[in-house]
Amino acid sequence: LLQKKSNVYSVEIYGTKDLEKTETGDEEEKYKDLKGNNKKKKAEDLKKELDLEDHKLSTSELEEKYGTSTNKGLSSARAAEILARDGPNSLTPPKATPEIIKFLKQMVGGFSILLWIGAVFSWISFGIQLAQGSESPFDNLYLGVVLALVVILTGIFAYYQEAKSTNIMASFSKMIPQQALVIRDAEKKELSADQLVVGDIVEIKGGDRIPADIRLIFAQGCKVDNSSLTGESEPQSRSCDFTHENPLETRNIAFYSTTCVEGTATGIVINTGDRTVIGRIASLASGVGNEKTPIAIEIEHFVYLVAGVAISIGVLFFIISVSMQNKILDSIIFLIGIIVANVPEGLLATVTVSLSLTAKRMAKKNCLVKNLEAVETLGSTSIICSDKTGTLTQNRMTVAHLWFDNQIYSADTSEDQTTQPFDQSSPSWTALSKIVTLCNRAEFSPGQENLPIMKRVVVGDASETALLKFAEVILGDVMNIRARNKKVAEIPFNSTNKFQLSIHETDDPKDKRFLLVMKGAPERILERCSTIMINGKEEPLDSEKAEAFQTAYMELGGMGERVLGFCHLYLPENEFPDTYPFDTDSMNFPTSNLCFVGLLSMIDPPRSTVPDAVSKCRSAGIKVIMVTGDHPITAKAIAKSVGIISATSETVEDIAKRLNIPVEQVNRREATAAVVNGMELKDMSLQQLDEILCNHSEIVFARTSPQQKLIIVEGCQRQGAVVAVTGDGVNDSPALKKADIGIAMGIAGSDAAKNAADMVLLDDNFASIVTGVEEGRLIFDNLKKTIAYTLTKNIAELCPFLIYIIASIPMPIGTITILFIDLGTDIIPSVALAYEKAESDIMNRRPRNKRKDRLVNQQLAVYSYLQIGIMQSVGAFVTYFTVYAEQGFLPSTLLGVRVDWENNAINDFEDSYGQQWTKYQRMYLQWTGYTAFFVSITIQQVADLIIRKTRRNSIFQQGLFRNKVIWVGIFSQIGIALILTYGLGHVTALNFTPLRFQYWFVAVPFAILIWVYDEVRKLFIRRYPGSWWDKNMYY
Amino acid sequence: FITTIRSGLILLFYLVFYGFLAALFTFTMWVMLQTLSSDIPKYRDRISSPGLMISPKPDTALEFYFNKSDAQSYAEYVSTLRKFLESYDDSKQSQNINCTPGRIFDQNDVAVKKACRFNLSELGQCSGKEDKTFGYSKGTPCVLVKMNRIIGLKPEGEPRIQCTSKEEGMVEVNYFPPEGLIDLMYFPYYGKSLHAHYLQPLVAVQLAINSNSTKEEIAIECKILGSPNLKNEDERDKFLGRIAFKVQMTE
Repeated sequence: LLQKKSNVYSVEIYGTKDLEKTETGDEEEKYKDLKGNNKKKKAEDLKKELDLEDHKLSTSELEEKYGTSTNKGLSSARAAEILARDGPNSLTPPKATPEIIKFLKQMVGGFSILLWIGAVFSWISFGIQLAQGSESPFDNLYLGVVLALVVILTGIFAYYQEAKSTNIMASFSKMIPQQALVIRDAEKKELSADQLVVGDIVEIKGGDRIPADIRLIFAQGCKVDNSSLTGESEPQSRSCDFTHENPLETRNIAFYSTTCVEGTATGIVINTGDRTVIGRIASLASGVGNEKTPIAIEIEHFVYLVAGVAISIGVLFFIISVSMQNKILDSIIFLIGIIVANVPEGLLATVTVSLSLTAKRMAKKNCLVKNLEAVETLGSTSIICSDKTGTLTQNRMTVAHLWFDNQIYSADTSEDQTTQPFDQSSPSWTALSKIVTLCNRAEFSPGQENLPIMKRVVVGDASETALLKFAEVILGDVMNIRARNKKVAEIPFNSTNKFQLSIHETDDPKDKRFLLVMKGAPERILERCSTIMINGKEEPLDSEKAEAFQTAYMELGGMGERVLGFCHLYLPENEFPDTYPFDTDSMNFPTSNLCFVGLLSMIDPPRSTVPDAVSKCRSAGIKVIMVTGDHPITAKAIAKSVGIISATSETVEDIAKRLNIPVEQVNRREATAAVVNGMELKDMSLQQLDEILCNHSEIVFARTSPQQKLIIVEGCQRQGAVVAVTGDGVNDSPALKKADIGIAMGIAGSDAAKNAADMVLLDDNFASIVTGVEEGRLIFDNLKKTIAYTLTKNIAELCPFLIYIIASIPMPIGTITILFIDLGTDIIPSVALAYEKAESDIMNRRPRNKRKDRLVNQQLAVYSYLQIGIMQSVGAFVTYFTVYAEQGFLPSTLLGVRVDWENNAINDFEDSYGQQWTKYQRMYLQWTGYTAFFVSITIQQVADLIIRKTRRNSIFQQGLFRNKVIWVGIFSQIGIALILTYGLGHVTALNFTPLRFQYWFVAVPFAILIWVYDEVRKLFIRRYPGSWWDKNMYY
Repeated sequence: FITTIRSGLILLFYLVFYGFLAALFTFTMWVMLQTLSSDIPKYRDRISSPGLMISPKPDTALEFYFNKSDAQSYAEYVSTLRKFLESYDDSKQSQNINCTPGRIFDQNDVAVKKACRFNLSELGQCSGKEDKTFGYSKGTPCVLVKMNRIIGLKPEGEPRIQCTSKEEGMVEVNYFPPEGLIDLMYFPYYGKSLHAHYLQPLVAVQLAINSNSTKEEIAIECKILGSPNLKNEDERDKFLGRIAFKVQMTE
């Protein structure tokens, strides 16, 4: 199963060749079965295993169960035994395909099998000719060797390309070995985490990654970040208490690969390695089938098309040849020629190079592509299922709004804020800022004075960090302010009180009073207040003011923001002299009748580039769906602020609220947007989900679980969409795998996510996806051009064989010569087309329909084969006949001479002028003909290259010189032709001869004609869109 | 109905398109042919030196197998020779003139090119006049060696044909004309249209096979010698100024 998965990478670029198709067809069916069963089984496993009982057991029961002791831990000997039984505590990496298999796949994929057949036929005919004692049997030996070399070299090349892109990823997965603090043999030991076994007693502290699934037996202020498992960004507290039946919800279990944010804890290891919850999700991911990429399907389609043409023409003319009483052997050699002429040997290598060029370009724009084909997949993407945290948002809490003096102020939430623009003149703000500064335990890590404030590392939880940075931006040097207002007492935040309090001396030397500052859940804070500060004055808190508070609180909360209330009290100097012993346990100070100062609300704000990127996606016809584990209100607020839900659209609930009717009465069709809660999703049938995906253009899924993410992706794929999924957590990996293109986050992403993904966003930024889409669409267009360019000359290579057999003229072009075109002169120009700029704004059209918009469509094939290709053939034949006529063989003499011409015994062959030629003299003339034909094709391919720069626009609109690489291509093409003709013209085996200079120009008028004709074609297409011409001529 | 129109339209398009291409092809070929002379080809660099060929030419490679007592076994050789020499018959050479032997017969300035007479009697015993079987019945088979016609070729020196056998003493070679000389007066050749009656000079090689060497395969190689501008040692072209064949005679 695993092997199948990784094979997909290597096979796809070369497509699967037709012969193997029948075999793999059945195989695939089997795989599907297996896959299905496996997945189901695994999912069941997951559920079953999650009914683990350990959280319900008491410490002593646990000790008994695992044969351990909380004080002494396991003995080293026992641990070694268990380690031998269970294996190391690490996730099994996906099994890699053996390199040799990958290599062999390249050797037989795509057109290779056709060429192998050609090579084998060549060797067979060599053998027969050798046995017959023929004159020149070695020609066929050479041809076979050359064909085999072509396959092997292109195979090695493709293998190398693939290995290169895989290596990029290999560097990613290297991890620093993790250490764990373990009690064994009654001693604390630092061990490598993969040595942990079930029953070990481990100690963890803030900042550690949890080394295995652990049942806690001791915890102090311990909080874990479960986001990589559940997607919830809020740290959750952990204790030894059994709080929930569900092991995922209970507090006394900490999971492998999550992080401990703060506090300390000790626990018994209850699961290691692949048996951990994360391990099981990761193996669930590997059970998800990997679909073929759209470009692989396109290339396969193209390979079938060309191979089909090659084989049918080959067999047809083989039969014709045999029925014309040619020797079977000659007919076989002739068949090889047709195959070689028809197969674009260099094309698949070119496609690989073009894709890797784009991949490189994308890497520069922070999209690292793991699987080359994913480059194009992104371009055909029609739905993006995006994570919220970190991708759309900055992944850090930031103060977004303030409320004081009965007014809401907005704060700057951009990534690089240095000032805050709101009105800071009110004395209320001064008071509020003092509370924000003092009632805060977060601190900057030392040594970061030179960094921008927003980039500094802070020790403390997310809200306090946000407040600290906010204060630092406005007031500057918070640490100094705190030092001047010495803290004398403090009660940290806890979930029962829901407030945080501290008491400070003031920095005013005349003011001997203590300042009590408090922050917490707004309603709890308000309960403790009797006055409220308005414009710096304390005013009694009457019901009207309380109402104003409520309105503001609801408004901020409604924006999905986390709201905190702030209040203070100056303790009277007479009651609290500076020697007063504050005791936080007995609370010998007032905690009510305080003065309410204001509210601050925080949110993880969207990245500043995201709204623009979302609107670009929208104009590009891509639906952006948000899938998050977060609360629906927060999710909706962020969706609105980035434009996933546009300003004018409403959800069913919004409409119900506006019209003041129950939700059930709203016409669901009227709502363009939808916010779907994970709980609702759970009860939905697949049809209902499909309905939602179909009927709403703007969708947010909130509070979703990893499995639901998978269901959503499958739902989108059922609509026929090409789905991109972004994710960072281990929990995302099944969805990443299932998606047509999985995009992992480079910074925040877990290794499991990166492993499952096809692409990694180095900057975690949604906007990078948009540039990726653009590149993907561009490469699709450009590959069309490359293929059109390459296919055209195949006709000019094929026609000689057909005319040779039908009109019995001397062979116009040799098989080796064809290979020199396909793998020599044409390679650089066809790669150069990958550098072509877009013809129009590709981000303003809809994503391609993967069923209708083929890479190689009928128009492309027909236009290349039957129009330009035929024109090229005519041009090349004119050159061919010119060469022969000027040497004494007029066209009329040439017709029907083939048998005598090729007869080794005829050495006085008469030309049109009565001269007599030996066989070798004729052969040499024939090679001159090959060279002339080759040169003509090359010259006309220059014109072909220029016309392929655009499909619709005039060349002059596109600019003849904008793509410099095209010119490199043209010069290389002519340069290689010159070298072959004049440099290697004396190497017999290559069949090139030096050519009179004027023959280079015979085909020039035809080249010009090709250009003019194509300009006319494009003109009519532009002039008459939708016309008969447009439909038949636009590819 | 619409599809009929549509496919008809496509058919029409390709009819016009290919019609245009065919016309264009014909036109360019016509233009190209106009630039050519009908008398001599534009370039003759691909045949700078002539090849040698023999008559009769056996079907199966260049190997003669015959039984001197079995007329049937060499009948084909004899008839080929007879047919080949028909054009050299005196009656066919009435318009040909007697040229000065030993000199290149330059007719560049003359509009009507004359052909030189080649007397069959020059071929002596191989002329087929005395021995109707060209020596095949006597165990002295004749083979005619001729040099390929090349327009404008003027051999230098004294070109002659020499045949040797690798196996010494098996065969004795007689030449007609004597020493296998090719007279320079037959050169240069002016091409089919200007030089219609041209007859290329022949050298007859009579192989007197030693009576001990019957039943053995005798390899014979003929070369053109004595002329510096006629190549006979080309590595790749085995027929350039030379020819190798085998003879096996039984009794």
